[in-house]
Amino acid sequence: MSHPAKHRPLIALVALFGLCLSVPAFAQFDAEAAENTFKDNDCHKCHHATKAKKGPALKKIAAKYKEKKLDEKEAIKHMTAGQKVKLDDGKEEDHKIIDTKDVKVQTNVARWMLSH
Amino acid sequence: MDQRALILGFSMLAFGSAMAADPASIDWGKIPATKLTLFYPGQSSYEWLRSEGHKGASSETARGDSCVSCHDDAKEEQRQGAKILRGNHPLEPTTIAGKKNGHVDLSVQAAFDAKNAYLRYQWKTQNPFPGNEHQYLRFDGKEWKVYGFPKLDKVVQEGKQPGIYEDRMSIIIDDGKVPGFAKQGCWLTCHDGQRDMPKQFTKEEVAANALLTAIKKNDVRKYLPDTRTNPSDWKTGKSVEDIAKLKEAGAFVELIQWRAHRSHAVGMADDGYVLEWRLADAGKDMFSGNADSKTHQPKFMWDEKKVGYKSITADQLRKGDHFLIREQNAVPFDPNAGWKEGDMIPDYVTSREDAKGSAADNNAIANWKDGMWTVVVVRPLGLANSDDKALKAGGVYNVGFAVHDDNITTRGHFVSYVKTLGLGAKADIQAVKLP
Ligand code: HEC
Ligand code: HEC
Repeated sequence: MSHPAKHRPLIALVALFGLCLSVPAFAQFDAEAAENTFKDNDCHKCHHATKAKKGPALKKIAAKYKEKKLDEKEAIKHMTAGQKVKLDDGKEEDHKIIDTKDVKVQTNVARWMLSH
Repeated sequence: MDQRALILGFSMLAFGSAMAADPASIDWGKIPATKLTLFYPGQSSYEWLRSEGHKGASSETARGDSCVSCHDDAKEEQRQGAKILRGNHPLEPTTIAGKKNGHVDLSVQAAFDAKNAYLRYQWKTQNPFPGNEHQYLRFDGKEWKVYGFPKLDKVVQEGKQPGIYEDRMSIIIDDGKVPGFAKQGCWLTCHDGQRDMPKQFTKEEVAANALLTAIKKNDVRKYLPDTRTNPSDWKTGKSVEDIAKLKEAGAFVELIQWRAHRSHAVGMADDGYVLEWRLADAGKDMFSGNADSKTHQPKFMWDEKKVGYKSITADQLRKGDHFLIREQNAVPFDPNAGWKEGDMIPDYVTSREDAKGSAADNNAIANWKDGMWTVVVVRPLGLANSDDKALKAGGVYNVGFAVHDDNITTRGHFVSYVKTLGLGAKADIQAVKLP
């Protein structure tokens, strides 16, 4: 990410404010910490910011959540429950479980993901 | 420190031809440098990559997806190397004393003219000295025994032997004839069963193996999947005839290794290929073992008249260029020269004069300065030998790089994901045509 971490939440906030007034609460997060957790957990190997990899792109996830009015709680479920995920070829696989039980850390990652 | 070798290198290379550039006088400042990151792969074999251990990626890897379709983060190699070496990682069962860095930054430049391709590499060594020494023969008062081993060997782990092993800079080249290499690169050659890999071969298994006995090998090294009926089992070698057909069809990869002791001493890089094993090209390498197979005594010692000593002792390690060069500074070993415990003579003797045939194709010049190796490998274009990949102007090749740093071999290297090299053609690394 090219933005210094300190400024990211602010930029995200401004973006949210400017673009989608329908978002219920102003979700604050620490972008640098979130990205580190995300990468330390290998999430980036399947989720790219804009490109579809094995998992959907963060932009696509964020758009879907916006459209369906889903929130970070739903996202956290996906990273903690080890749910079955459906792959392109119809096969199923258990989703990766994040290595922390700290809800604050999980929330930070979820907010950052959904800010894309 | 390497001045002498450098000068020797220059004077010995036959750069007289009007068509070939002197690699030392190429203006490298004008040639773009590609920055690569090589990482510590541990035991990430062909088999591990296709196993449940490679979570969420085994079936994709098995169906042939490219590694970088997932491993594409700007800092991916740094992260992966650090993770594997952080301790308790399933891919690295050993704590390697002093191994701090999980990755190495490698700068690659390439040029070519009507005769040769020139590959220039630069990287920083972890140690404040060049790794240009290799194993020795040491007199223990009675016998000459090998002294110094690679750091992954048990004797070094247990502190019974010092870690001494040459640095290396290697490239594997595929011209598109090896299925899957463009996507998965060098990992096609790395398998369980090999030295320092999971399920390492036993002597008995090797002795009972039809292919390895037919090709007279007593261990398991790099091989390509197509040489086995089951690529994930080194024991299932195809027949020598079937493998000869693969070779004829070009289904092998070139492997050029610049060795800081055994080839650098005579201004060369070795020349090999990987097919059913990691093989040397036909002819004769520039290095040979210096231990007599019967007596275990050295065959050559230093010529005292030329270098001032017949042998060295451990306190002189890392304090000079300790190369034993057959035609320059070596004389036949004299068993009655009053040897004392602790006297040491290199375990390998090098020779440009003795190097012959296809194994003697590649030249190199190199120096180590301020913590950094600069190596230029000179590869003739258009080689017609059956064990070489012929490089041609306009050609694009899939390549993988490896750096061996700090006295280590086998899995202890740093490796790159596959890249492309183009000779005057579009690629990740573009070789510039010299005027
Ligand atoms: C091995 C590949 C892989 C890894 C690693 C991975 N994911 Fe996923 N993820 C997927 C796939 C595939 C889906 C799509 C599931 C679906 O659409 O049914 C998904 C879906 C998700 C979703 C839900 C998106 C939605 O549409 O509701 C979230 C949130 C998510 N992942 C977060 C993470 C986090 C956080 C990590 C790291 C802890 C992670 N993922 C690691 C493959 C992966
Ligand atoms: C489908 C996506 C995908 C492909 C293709 C893929 N990998 Fe991975 N790789 C992963 C994921 C996800 C992990 C993390 C697994 C875990 O520990 O949860 C991983 C882990 C690794 C690791 C261990 C270190 C680390 O980063 O966790 C190595 C080494 C590795 N892969 C090498 C390769 C190589 C070499 C290839 C190509 C031959 C390859 N991978 C192909 C997704 C992939």
